[in-house]
Amino acid sequence: MTRLRREGAVPPIAAFIVFLTAYIIINPGLLTRFQLQTAANLVVPLALVALGQLIIVLVGGIDISIGAIMGLSNVVFATAMALLPVPLAILAGIGAGLACGLLNGFLVAYGRLPAIAVTLASAFIFGSISREVMDRPGGGITTDFYLATSGELLMFLPASILWLSLAAVGLWLLLHRTAFGRHIYGVGSNAESVRAAGINARATTLGAFMLSSILVSFGAIMLAGSTLTGDPRSGDPYLLTSIAVVALAGASFSGGRGSIIGTILAACTLGLVGSLLFFAGVNSYWQYVIAALIVISVVGIPVIVRQVAAAGRRA
Amino acid sequence: MTAAIEKETRTGNITLAALRRVPRSVWPMLAFVVLFLVGGLLRPNLVSVDSLVGTATFAMILAIASFGQTVVVIQAGIDLSVPNTIAFAALSFLTWSGTIGPVLACLASILSGAVIGSINGTIVAKLGLTPIVTTIAMNGLLFGVVLLSFKNSELTDIPEFLTAITAGKVEVFGTSIAAVLPLGLVLLLVLQLILSYTGWGRSLFVVGSASETARLAGLPVDRIRISAYALNGALVAFAGVVIVGFYGQAFATMGAPYLLGSVAAVVVGGSTIFGGRGSVVGTLGGALVLGQVATLVNIANLGSNIQQLFYGVIVLLVVALYSRRTRE
Repeated sequence: MTRLRREGAVPPIAAFIVFLTAYIIINPGLLTRFQLQTAANLVVPLALVALGQLIIVLVGGIDISIGAIMGLSNVVFATAMALLPVPLAILAGIGAGLACGLLNGFLVAYGRLPAIAVTLASAFIFGSISREVMDRPGGGITTDFYLATSGELLMFLPASILWLSLAAVGLWLLLHRTAFGRHIYGVGSNAESVRAAGINARATTLGAFMLSSILVSFGAIMLAGSTLTGDPRSGDPYLLTSIAVVALAGASFSGGRGSIIGTILAACTLGLVGSLLFFAGVNSYWQYVIAALIVISVVGIPVIVRQVAAAGRRA
Repeated sequence: MTAAIEKETRTGNITLAALRRVPRSVWPMLAFVVLFLVGGLLRPNLVSVDSLVGTATFAMILAIASFGQTVVVIQAGIDLSVPNTIAFAALSFLTWSGTIGPVLACLASILSGAVIGSINGTIVAKLGLTPIVTTIAMNGLLFGVVLLSFKNSELTDIPEFLTAITAGKVEVFGTSIAAVLPLGLVLLLVLQLILSYTGWGRSLFVVGSASETARLAGLPVDRIRISAYALNGALVAFAGVVIVGFYGQAFATMGAPYLLGSVAAVVVGGSTIFGGRGSVVGTLGGALVLGQVATLVNIANLGSNIQQLFYGVIVLLVVALYSRRTRE
């Protein structure tokens, strides 16, 4: 609990509980097998990409190329599915994403260039490459693969939830139970003292970019599985949404603070706004307005409360 | 022997120092000239006034859309709500011009852009949210507003007045150029004068490079920030009106190319993404470089996809060059 508060995860968890309650009151049908599966398939790729963005934000950076990495990994995987056995296709998809992460990470960590500028440039490059790989939606994704990634594992347990949980638990162990994970938090909160303590800050930053790109590729493959297609533009909407999710999760954009569970729940909230409005009978275009208001109020209200409290003490 | 080497390094240092004194906005212009000549080597008939005007027109539109971004970046911010501010301004302009006439509609669009910008600025300055998050949220909010308030999300009925001041032809020294070129140049001149010679303009640079120092020195940092975002919003909205006039149509996703495009023009134009440095002249230079690359890619028949690849490589090169020079 203390850790959750320290990592800023309390407001997003509260927001998620309020949101979920409202959702179930308006649409009790969420708890049916079909709707659970649909909702899970909508949320899981977003959660994975947002976790990727979180890792970069933890080391004090930001990844503008995250949508382009997702698109590239998505089309490489979908193309490879038509030619190779499934495990090799998955490796190809993750490998393509990892190559992007390596390039970004190398330039940021060893070229000492600002992450926002590097990833702005590489967003153009990766986007261009993925449209060279596949210029319109297609690829050879099979129904079997759909069932394995986005079908139903057991009654009321969508397969995608299992995959997300595995990724989240693995990531949690990596961040909180290994030296590498502690270094990631350390580099983000105080790069100078981390360097003074003899920790290789550059290698940690490079590692963070690699880890992030693997998570993003995983999200891209899950998306390919649930839509049964590869699409070079499939990642584009995830750039802005992933940043919004990380903001909603209470992570600090100067680095060092942010939680996995907060990010996943924030992804659920923002990912399901559209379908909540659909069931409430509201024009679904409102989802963009409401999502923006959720982000601003969940991030902004604690700030206002703190300012008012500080003003009260002074008075 | 050692003396000779010493002398050599000293002259080296002097040249370097002299190079560093050259205003940054000169470099993108120089790069544009080089690229223009490279185009001439590949296709001699490219070195013509017509080809220059063609590239310049394309670049000027990108530059107009990036002037606001320049102002925000100088005071250490960024605006990712450019795309939907453009779409909102363009669509509302077309909707309003039917009832209140094009001139008033244009003013109303610019005003609403200023309101959008000052909301961004207030959230950034008073709530302390990062500019990236704030403007992304604003971009999403505006997308919803655009989809909800404009029933026909594609409009093509452009008032003649607007066409005349953007796509209409003007004769200059016997060459016919699009009216958007002189329009953009006037805007550029006014903005550069404001940035370089007014107290407000200069305070942007102080706030951008050392906001704490500025606060201690008694500058109204919050107000400067908010007004910078407001000016940015007004400029982006004006860009939306210009774009709809020039291309003759408005639709909900019309601003999408300007999300990364405006940041790229600003960065290639020599502004520092962390604030405190930049000029609108440089931004025009950046837009010209990107425009000339587009022209070159076009004549080599490589397609718009490869053009994006080159944009990325250029931004990367520029960022690497500039950060190396500041570190020395």
